[in-house]
Amino acid sequence: MSVTIDSPDQLPAPYRSTGATSRAFRVLRRKPSALLGGGIIVFIAFVALAAPVLAPYPAQGRGLADVPARDLPPSSLHWFGTDHLGRDVLSRVIFGARPALGVSLAVVVLAVLVGVPLGMIAGYRGGWLDEALMRVTDIFLAFPPLLLAMVISALLGASLLHAAIALVISWWPWYARLARTVTQSLKHEPFIDAARVFGVREPLILTRHVLRNATTPILVQATVDAGTVILAVGALAFLGLAAQPPTPDWGLMVADGRTTVITEWWISMFPGLAIFTLVLGFNLLGDVLRDVLDPRSAGR
Amino acid sequence: MSALLEIEDLRVDFSRDGHVTSRALRGVSLSVGEGEAVGVVGETGCGKTLTGLSVLRMLPENARASGRITFEGRDLLALSTRELREVRGSRVSMVFQSPGTSFNPVFAVGDQIRMVAERHLGLGRKEAGRLVVETLGSVGLPNPSGVMRLYPHELSGGMLQRAMIAMAIICRPSLLIADEPTTALDVTIAQQILRLLRQLQREQGFGVFFISHDLDLVGDFCDRIAVLYAGRVVETGATGALLARPRHPYTRALLEALPGRAEPGTPLPTVPGTVPTELDGAPGCAFAPRCPLVVDRCLQERPPLAPVSNGHASACHRSDAL
Amino acid sequence: MSRWVVRRLLTSLLTLFFITTITFALARVVPSNPAVVYIGPLARPAEIARVTKELGLDRPLYVQYVDYMRDLVHGNWGTSLATKQPVLGGIASRLPATLELILVAMAMAVAVGIPLGVLAAHRKGKAADTGARVGAVVGISMPVFWLGLLLQVLASQWLNILPPTSRQSLDVAVLHPVTKITGFLLVDALVTGDWSGLQDAATHILLPAITLAAYPAALVTRMTRAAMLDVLGQDYVRTARTFGLGERLVLWQLALRNAIPSTLTVVGLSLAYLLTGSFFVEIVFDWPGIGQYATNALLNLDYPAIMGITILGATAFLVINFVVDVLQARLDPRVRLQ
Repeated sequence: MSVTIDSPDQLPAPYRSTGATSRAFRVLRRKPSALLGGGIIVFIAFVALAAPVLAPYPAQGRGLADVPARDLPPSSLHWFGTDHLGRDVLSRVIFGARPALGVSLAVVVLAVLVGVPLGMIAGYRGGWLDEALMRVTDIFLAFPPLLLAMVISALLGASLLHAAIALVISWWPWYARLARTVTQSLKHEPFIDAARVFGVREPLILTRHVLRNATTPILVQATVDAGTVILAVGALAFLGLAAQPPTPDWGLMVADGRTTVITEWWISMFPGLAIFTLVLGFNLLGDVLRDVLDPRSAGR
Repeated sequence: MSALLEIEDLRVDFSRDGHVTSRALRGVSLSVGEGEAVGVVGETGCGKTLTGLSVLRMLPENARASGRITFEGRDLLALSTRELREVRGSRVSMVFQSPGTSFNPVFAVGDQIRMVAERHLGLGRKEAGRLVVETLGSVGLPNPSGVMRLYPHELSGGMLQRAMIAMAIICRPSLLIADEPTTALDVTIAQQILRLLRQLQREQGFGVFFISHDLDLVGDFCDRIAVLYAGRVVETGATGALLARPRHPYTRALLEALPGRAEPGTPLPTVPGTVPTELDGAPGCAFAPRCPLVVDRCLQERPPLAPVSNGHASACHRSDAL
Repeated sequence: MSRWVVRRLLTSLLTLFFITTITFALARVVPSNPAVVYIGPLARPAEIARVTKELGLDRPLYVQYVDYMRDLVHGNWGTSLATKQPVLGGIASRLPATLELILVAMAMAVAVGIPLGVLAAHRKGKAADTGARVGAVVGISMPVFWLGLLLQVLASQWLNILPPTSRQSLDVAVLHPVTKITGFLLVDALVTGDWSGLQDAATHILLPAITLAAYPAALVTRMTRAAMLDVLGQDYVRTARTFGLGERLVLWQLALRNAIPSTLTVVGLSLAYLLTGSFFVEIVFDWPGIGQYATNALLNLDYPAIMGITILGATAFLVINFVVDVLQARLDPRVRLQ
């Protein structure tokens, strides 16, 4: 009599994947740097969402100029002063949280969505598919960091969208490689063999079993990367290769105030401080995640 | 004659976050005379390695030692770290179990030994180098000046252990602590190493604190034996007397469990049960739950280490029955 | 070992070839018209047509490609559409300034990062360790362009000086310039005994180098600390201490030597980061290196210059990786003696 299994849920319990992620979250709650990092991220996310309500001058935040009030230092009317076009810097910084978080998270998510499936399939199948993926990622990874993104963004025409596309193109190889390595180490785990023996088809193996165990290293990497992507977006914007005026982009704002930074320091300093704070939040969280999840991850 | 090394009531506790998590040594007392080889035996986890490490105070961060360890007239547990560094490697040295990981992989073997000589003997680089060559030769390594330049991964296990011994004796210590020096080696190589140690001991006259789980080995090499169980010494005596007529049930069980003494065709005898690990344990003898000679008194009163004949002591209420 | 070197060189050349091809293809996808970039946006259609023919842009793509690759190999990297000067010359003349900045920054990062990492590992859990770790995470979180501006603001507010920009003061550059030997001002001034020139160059490179060094210093600190923690737990460190060797010897020679390979990897990665990171510092401090050249090329869609920068960047990256791999092999006695 043969037994067919159509769903991994029909597999006996020992062959299900482990729940390292939920265990980890409980530990995380106790670590101060995780709390600080997570707190920063949540706070800035809140600011981004509630921007129209929080900003004292929402129209200026979006781009409306008020030239007579330009270059004013910080005061009770304008906590962060005003920029060269008279716009309230605080409102601009608040609205700037939107592209900062939005674009960065989109880039990371897309890079993961593109890279991980490719890496998993290549790692699982092996053979020429794997070789091909390795060569292709080699080429991408041979570009100095950020240079490829700069070139692509410039060539496509500088805009926030094109910068995002450029960054996704630059970043997906890392996730492909990571997914490939994790898949290769998981490939020989007993529970994968068991699933195969029971007749579970490959797509299901990959999505349920491999993926569930791969989420932790990918999640750690994504959190750590989020900070780097935010820096990259800011850098591209600073050069003028990403968001264009009047978009309230933090990198763009820093560039705006660059030439007059000695006299009107607030125009560059506050947006830059915002970038730093958000990146710090992701780095703190990512560090703790890595410490907590690494010793427990299977097969590493 | 005062002993070379006198360990009195040594206790070692491990703690975490302020409270004690384990009492590894619960009052170990033993001594090593000048030029004497004392074997310290017991199962894994009985504390024999820890005792050896305590002499040099090479304990982990979370361990606390108390008691007295008298060596050359000084209490080693009371010395400052700086004073201790003078003792380590020069008056007392150690030979470790796995020579492969005990040498630094990115430095030549000769350089590592030379550093020890330079540090303790005040020699210059060239002089120290010559001494290293000489010492490598005295431990039976062929072409010592060539071996000096080799890296650890280029030497076999046996050669590395000889090099380790060279490092241990180069400063002419009076006491050598050997922690399972042959466990990681092939049987034939192990025999060679033991012969070497015995020869060096005769030539240089140092005492040996020989840690092992192998009673046969210790029986061949040592003058006296101390048997450890659950962090305490349960029996100590001259090798011949102790092995011929053990006066503690645990020692007897260990001897009976030796493969060499078993009757062919019969199952190998074992000691039922496991070593107790609770923090403070029940009152009475720690071996009582597993002892074939146990009586009520054993469960209530812990037997002290008492002499049973000349130079032979046992911690057992029923030592007369053996 | 030499067989490995040869194979490495070949794969590197192959990679370089692919990168050049990809960038060439990307550049041809450009929405803008290179001819327009060349003569300016106000030109008449007839002018544009003439220039298109002149620049050879009307020929089939594969012909342009073959010509370009052939010229590349012969040292002709095209002419910049914006400056009308040869690309290779434009890059070469600006390269020493950037190289000097990168090298000084890297030296600073290593000089600070390694000792800090060692101390943090040795004093794990104590104040020095926490301080180093906090400093390091701050260092990797700061946008480099913001840090540069921040340092300028602080210098002007706290020290009440106008922070220097560019590589040399105007009077030094014009009145008594440093004799040019290597193109590295610090080296040239030192070698010719030009003390005022040396001081001038040093004060000018200080802030930009510190700005550029922050991120790599943080990375080096983190990696050195992690590697040292791993090494300090090894048997051979215990052996050294058991034999009474001094803590300074154990830490800085016996242990560190085992942690260096990991640090070297990070140094390589940092150098790669510095290749593009220097662009931002050069803009903020008005440093006359390839950063400004590259940025202008990108913004103006000056595609010969963009190609040149890309090839330069990719080559530099390949060279760095190659050197790091060779050094790693030399450092490990288990590999070296094959």
